[in-house]
Amino acid sequence: MKEILANINKAFENRIRLGIMSALSVHEKMDFITLRELLDVTDGNLASHLRALEETGYISMEKRFIERKPNTSYSITLQGTESFRNHIKALEELLKNQ
Amino acid sequence: MEQPGQYLEDIKVIKKIMEESSRFLSLSGLSGISAGLFAIAGAIAAKIIIPESIVNGQGYAESIVTSAEGARIIRLLVLDAAIVLVLALISAVFFSYRKARKLGHNIWTPVTRRMLLNLIIPLLTGGLFVIITMGRIPGWATASATLIFYGLALVNAGKFTFGEIYWLGVIEIVTGMLSLMLPGYTLLFWAFGFGILHIIYGLYMYIKYKG
Repeated sequence: MKEILANINKAFENRIRLGIMSALSVHEKMDFITLRELLDVTDGNLASHLRALEETGYISMEKRFIERKPNTSYSITLQGTESFRNHIKALEELLKNQ
Repeated sequence: MEQPGQYLEDIKVIKKIMEESSRFLSLSGLSGISAGLFAIAGAIAAKIIIPESIVNGQGYAESIVTSAEGARIIRLLVLDAAIVLVLALISAVFFSYRKARKLGHNIWTPVTRRMLLNLIIPLLTGGLFVIITMGRIPGWATASATLIFYGLALVNAGKFTFGEIYWLGVIEIVTGMLSLMLPGYTLLFWAFGFGILHIIYGLYMYIKYKG
């Protein structure tokens, strides 16, 4: 039980972060606006969670210009993929052990 | 620490977000039912347009293509099919928009665009095929081709929407192939493929996904 709990990642406890990781794990990249609409959150809220995940190295950000408009897109890192996979596995284990 | 119930809820959220972000889930069963009804009306109109004398005759292809009367019939049939297609598309958009609003989904997302692009490529190819070969191939071949191209379009778009769309596409392709093999029954196969199948599919989806 202890080992399983060790894999439960505090970084993904928040629903918005969980949503960001879920979306990015099935898409190569996603831009800010698409994420905001998908998760139905405010700009500031989303931005702060994205920044937190970026700081832990789970996601990476890319800024570029599309038709002279700034566009920010995010993608999951290798480290993020692995941590998220372990997190899901741990969640499933915990449910099985209940 | 999180409560046990929380874990289950977390898993559910993960699944929901993964699915919602990669599949177009606003397609309504009602779109299928109305498309099917339009198709049956179109098939009945076609039955009236096509003179009884050439429906069963073996000289079907030649007689319809060469005469001036034949050209008029072909134009009417193409117009009939085009009206069915437009009405079916309008109802699909209308009911999907309504369902998306009810579910609180955004309808115009990158997934929607990808789904439509994958649908449109085979569909447009089929449309061009029909226009280019018009009057040069027998009517039964044209009608069968519309079923086949439509089926291919659904198989292609199925990756970005409900899995059932993929299977509907497979059945449409099979129907089109059978229609190619049995030219005397074209209109029946066409009414089955675009009419009956859509209605069955629509009812099934409406009940299964509640909308």
